Amino acid sequence: MAKRVVKLTFFDESVKKPLTFQMAKKFDIMPNIRRAKVTETTGELVLELEGGEQNLDKGLAFLKKEGVIVEPLVGDIVE
Amino acid sequence: MSYVRGLKCRECGREYPKEVLFVCEYCFGSLEVNYDYGRIKKDLTKEVILRRPKTMWRYKELLPLDNDPTVGLNSGFTPLIPANNLAKKLGVKELYIKDDSVNHPTLSFKDRVVSVAISKAREFGFDTVACASTGNLANSVSAQAASVGLKSYIFIPADLELGKVVASLIYSPCLVAVEGNYDEVNRLCSEIASKYKWAFVNINIRPYYAEGSKSMGYEIAEQLNWKLPLHIVVPSAGGSLITKIWKSFNELQKLGFVDSVPTKVYCAQGHGCSPIVTAIKEKTEIIKPVKPKTIAKSLAIGNPADGYYAIDTVRKSGGYGEEATDAEIVEAIKLLAKEEGIFTETAGGVTLAVAKRLIENKIIPKDESIVLCITGNGLKTQEAVIKALPKPLKIRPNLASFEEQIKNGTNQKIADDKVIEYYI
Repeated sequence: MAKRVVKLTFFDESVKKPLTFQMAKKFDIMPNIRRAKVTETTGELVLELEGGEQNLDKGLAFLKKEGVIVEPLVGDIVE
Repeated sequence: MSYVRGLKCRECGREYPKEVLFVCEYCFGSLEVNYDYGRIKKDLTKEVILRRPKTMWRYKELLPLDNDPTVGLNSGFTPLIPANNLAKKLGVKELYIKDDSVNHPTLSFKDRVVSVAISKAREFGFDTVACASTGNLANSVSAQAASVGLKSYIFIPADLELGKVVASLIYSPCLVAVEGNYDEVNRLCSEIASKYKWAFVNINIRPYYAEGSKSMGYEIAEQLNWKLPLHIVVPSAGGSLITKIWKSFNELQKLGFVDSVPTKVYCAQGHGCSPIVTAIKEKTEIIKPVKPKTIAKSLAIGNPADGYYAIDTVRKSGGYGEEATDAEIVEAIKLLAKEEGIFTETAGGVTLAVAKRLIENKIIPKDESIVLCITGNGLKTQEAVIKALPKPLKIRPNLASFEEQIKNGTNQKIADDKVIEYYI
């Protein structure tokens, strides 16, 4: 089992869909919500994800396809 | 003697010891240095500061080292220049340039943060330092590591301009050009940082590193005779500098060095990479990451790590955010050079172009004090302006030829497709 920490940003239509739940169920991933901020039009979730390496890749690819912005937590550090 | 209490999560407030930590293990929020201001207030006075050498270390109680610094001993205390010619041009009454384009040793504000980061890394006992960078940070880490014989690993995207690469390579770091975009360099570096026991100045040393930026704010206050400007325009990439300048002003108030913090803080970004400014204008606190496309490469961070805090700073101060197009950036670089004799890099062009727009739009009033933060030197980004400059007059070596050319008037512009041919 692997662990990954990601920040998900939801906009527009993706805010309204239960995408995190769908990802967890479809790819057998356990999400642990560490921080969240949600407004009417946008949402930001910091998650620790636990699952098989391949499942994590597939799960995150699924979210990206649905329009969610997936970033490693550190953000851009290149300066 | 240290005045640091420890580290504190910027999100949940949980406290940690002053160790090599950078994220909260509970909420994954970033950590910040927490000081014992009561003790600092007792020991640090204006008189003490005035007796010290004119470097950023005259405020050492407010920087996170346990002992005296061991690198960057001449960094900081760059000039704060009354920009009277430029003020006239922009129609404002009181304008100052904080000129970090002449910072020591590598001509950018990054010398401040790297001086703190590498001194701290040495206190922690590291023998190797590293960073992920697109230019100024790479130059400063390479130079300052070399000055104390530390090994350094510098990670850059493979498609960087030669000039930026040379200004790092000359100090003999291990320069690693990653075949990928900025995002991929980031991901790789966080992975490397978790495996190798190196001091990554902008990853695992980040809480300490970022504090170095505060020195710019202290200097501005001191150079204005312990009075804060009413407006300050700061270029933003990851958003750290703008939050630290704000922190420095508030610390000065806490310590009684200034009566109040009346300053409005403005965030300047390039059009094509303005996620912080966009969020400010759209009145949201959530940053939408972008793919950068601007000539201001030192500001080209699409997913700013401190974006939220930068927005918060601007809002709390009553400031605003604005962006500048590539053409405006080039014009502003030329304007600063022509009016004040200062050659800044693209980030400085962004700052001035944004200030110009904020003044024109009456967001910054014309009769109040304004400081522009010029963070880097134009010699590093010559390719950005070369096409906008005329060619020199070419004459035969005699007076007649000189006078004939002078009669013909000003220098002619070189055709875009001839620029490289002309200079190389």
